[in-house]
Amino acid sequence: MQQMEFDTKWTMVVDVDKCTGCGACMVSCQAENNIAPMEEGSNKLKTLTWMLVYELNNGKEFPNREVAYLPRPCMQCGHPACVPVCPVVATTKDEEGGIVSQIYPRCIGCRYCMAACPYHARYFGWLDPVWPGGMDKALSPSTSTRPRGVVEKCNFCHTRLMDARARARSEGLDPNKLPDGWYQPACLEACPTGAISFGDVKNPEHKVHELVKNPNAFRILESIGMDPQVYYISRRDWVREQSDNHVAEDKH
Amino acid sequence: MGIDRRTFIQLVTGGVVGSLFTPVIWKSLDDAAIWSQNWSWIPRLKYGAITEQASVAKFGAAPCAEIVKSVGGSPYLTRGNAENEMSKGGVDPVSASGPQLMYSPSRVNGPMKKTAEGKYESISWEDAEKLLSEKLAAVKGQKGKLAVVSGDSTGTATEVLSGFAAGMGAECYLMPSDEQGAAAALASMGGKGQIGYDLENSDFVLFVGADAMDSWGPVVRNQCVYSASRPTGEEIKTTYVYAGPFLNCTAAAADKWVPVAPGTGAIFCLGLAYHMLKAGASASASDFADFKTLVMSRFSPDKVEKATGVAGAEMAAIAKRIMKSSAPVVVAGSEFAQGAGAADVIAAAAVNMLLGRVNKDGGMKILPELPKAVDAAEGHSELVAKDFVGYLAGIAAGKVAAPEVMMAYEANPVYALPQNTALAQAVEKSGFLVSFSTFMDETASKADLIMPNPTCYERFEDAQTPYGVGAAMLAASAPVAEPLYNSKPTVDVVLGVASGLGIDLGYESADAVYQAKAEKAGADWDSLVEGAAYVSDSTESGSIKFAASVLSKAVAMPKGGEIALAPYSKLIFGTPTVAIPPMNVVVISKYELLGKDLMVQVNSKTAKKLGVSEGSKVKLAGAGGECAVRIHINEGVMNDVIAAPLGFGHTAWDAYSSGKGENISKLLTVGTESGTGLSVWTSSFVSIA
Repeated sequence: MQQMEFDTKWTMVVDVDKCTGCGACMVSCQAENNIAPMEEGSNKLKTLTWMLVYELNNGKEFPNREVAYLPRPCMQCGHPACVPVCPVVATTKDEEGGIVSQIYPRCIGCRYCMAACPYHARYFGWLDPVWPGGMDKALSPSTSTRPRGVVEKCNFCHTRLMDARARARSEGLDPNKLPDGWYQPACLEACPTGAISFGDVKNPEHKVHELVKNPNAFRILESIGMDPQVYYISRRDWVREQSDNHVAEDKH
Repeated sequence: MGIDRRTFIQLVTGGVVGSLFTPVIWKSLDDAAIWSQNWSWIPRLKYGAITEQASVAKFGAAPCAEIVKSVGGSPYLTRGNAENEMSKGGVDPVSASGPQLMYSPSRVNGPMKKTAEGKYESISWEDAEKLLSEKLAAVKGQKGKLAVVSGDSTGTATEVLSGFAAGMGAECYLMPSDEQGAAAALASMGGKGQIGYDLENSDFVLFVGADAMDSWGPVVRNQCVYSASRPTGEEIKTTYVYAGPFLNCTAAAADKWVPVAPGTGAIFCLGLAYHMLKAGASASASDFADFKTLVMSRFSPDKVEKATGVAGAEMAAIAKRIMKSSAPVVVAGSEFAQGAGAADVIAAAAVNMLLGRVNKDGGMKILPELPKAVDAAEGHSELVAKDFVGYLAGIAAGKVAAPEVMMAYEANPVYALPQNTALAQAVEKSGFLVSFSTFMDETASKADLIMPNPTCYERFEDAQTPYGVGAAMLAASAPVAEPLYNSKPTVDVVLGVASGLGIDLGYESADAVYQAKAEKAGADWDSLVEGAAYVSDSTESGSIKFAASVLSKAVAMPKGGEIALAPYSKLIFGTPTVAIPPMNVVVISKYELLGKDLMVQVNSKTAKKLGVSEGSKVKLAGAGGECAVRIHINEGVMNDVIAAPLGFGHTAWDAYSSGKGENISKLLTVGTESGTGLSVWTSSFVSIA
């Protein structure tokens, strides 16, 4: 498959060892992206959480158990599996730094993209969103609300990229060469442990440019070739091994 | 010409291919997409100027300094305020949904009183204040007739309540927290002030019980400090070790988890002290010899292993590692931020003293109290040390007369107390219960009068030296938004009522009180409301002792052989004051709440011993009550321990928290700590059926 390359490649790097699993990123993501609250949270097949924190463990019995938390936004793949299967071209990977977009009014809810996504990063709105008690007055002006019946997903808080570019233009800077830190997704902004780093991996002045070269950096399911734009860092061998569906008995 | 099979296929294929070249199909698909997205009510986004304002959020367990983003004057998002020392950036998962909580369906819209039929009717503020004044006038000056309880230990609002209670001849209490045990510990050690920990300058941090990344102390600040010591992709500067019964968020983030049985934090610390004393550690405290005798005789490795589950060799290795560090600190607290008593903190302080780490950079600090704004109020440490649970237990047992009036400020004692069934009833025995709550919580639902306080975004607010920070400090904020409902700041209500009763607290409005507090502390009010925190670098002078005589009474070896309860608390589930916020519902793991069933966690060995398996429905019974729960097998729990989350089982609030799971507080057994007389409930045992 031919890979589209752009001058800017927005990349997230998550330090798994620093994530305490507090959930502030998930809540902040919901507030920024107008994800309506749901009364029933246990049914994980019907809940919407563009950012999801997985709990991993090393599989060992007490007292040798270890736990790690792995925040998972949309991977914004270089070879996105979701894009070619969309019959109505509601999702594309475009020049916005390689962010995979999702156009809600065009989506017909066929969910082919969900079936194709190996990261389970796409969510179908099964239920009418309801903001109770006037909570709709606390909606973010950045993100359109979506009805039920469409697929939605993380877009690296794309509107914040637009805002950062507008700021660059107003300050006479190149909007395509944003300084490090000018564009930050809501999850990063909320994270108290600084586990999330974000920037243009092609810009040597951005921290992530070096972080992705860290010997402990890895990507999830790297072997299936999706070329995700989300990297993880962990010093722990078992965490890195699980990232590629490692099975203990397998020979690698 | 007949139509054979081949002709039929050609026609169908030709038709299908042909149809693709007409716009009909595509137009239909497009229309289908639009039709499928018709919904009856489309929320309109609010557009307008986007502004940012610093604030101090009090939704979470500790004050969180944050920047609130608003559109057209309506808050919609928050982020951490990295410029403020009180929390150093980042937000906690309750404060992250603060703007949405402003619009919570649980908000109380205006003052209400309970009718004879037990329903609520709206009344005016004038009538509400008149009613309260009448009730208070009837009990003024009579000891034991009025009790005040506050759920906010950091705000000057509590100082106002304390001063008011003093003027009324009544008692003011704080809701139980880890700070209570620490205050009693410091008093036992002969110190005054407030215990804090300078984590940022430490190179080895040992948390004993204290779940610093999710429920203990200034959580967001702890997380930021932790983060700064291990920059992504670089070398770790500070080693973190967590000792506790459950692999919680702090244990997961730590470099090492040391499983320690619930309620044995003090024994663990004294076990460390044993090895340190053996290696020659000493301190110049007056009762060092007594302490040494106590530790060497009663906390030998075999006894400590039997009580805590930590082998002597491992204990020795930890002690060696701490002594080798250049700036270590030991922090003790309860795994669920309440009920640990003083012994754990005294024992941890003893280790810090043996290490020479008291009032040193990166060590345990004894912080001065900021000057009071209200002269009549009790000092912070005196207020903190008061035992509200003990007071209620006395009422429940019929030994103490129930007050005729009880005022609850930002506190939910009907839900959040240990041995909940009995103590909630003790609260309800009050002749006239007044709730100053923003939300319709369990206490408000039982109250005779509800006088809603605006949220921290709609009122002036301040926060002084949250328990656990390493320096005395003060932060404050001005309202971010206009009040949504007919609420009134409790401080204004109390000042008005006090004035009517002839009690002069020295101020006429809430903001005047907060400004005076800032002025007396030496802080610049304008800087505070703009988002900076005032930080004092002073510590209390004078030495502290080991309180060996208190330790010898307070620390008892557990009997063993029982199933221990290890409650844990996560901010996702809310706090003792705020139930599960609507936005947080989906964040809860299915291993903690499945439908309406609460999940408790045991390891496979314990499960086998108890004869339960994944998903089994069981009933846990403790001294205070019963809870129906399901089992989740998790190898991150110690043998013979059941880890259970607090924060569920609400009976009031809204559809997002009410009726979900069970309130584990029912199972917590309140005992009395020998030596200090404090109520404690970290050692609770359960039977399972």
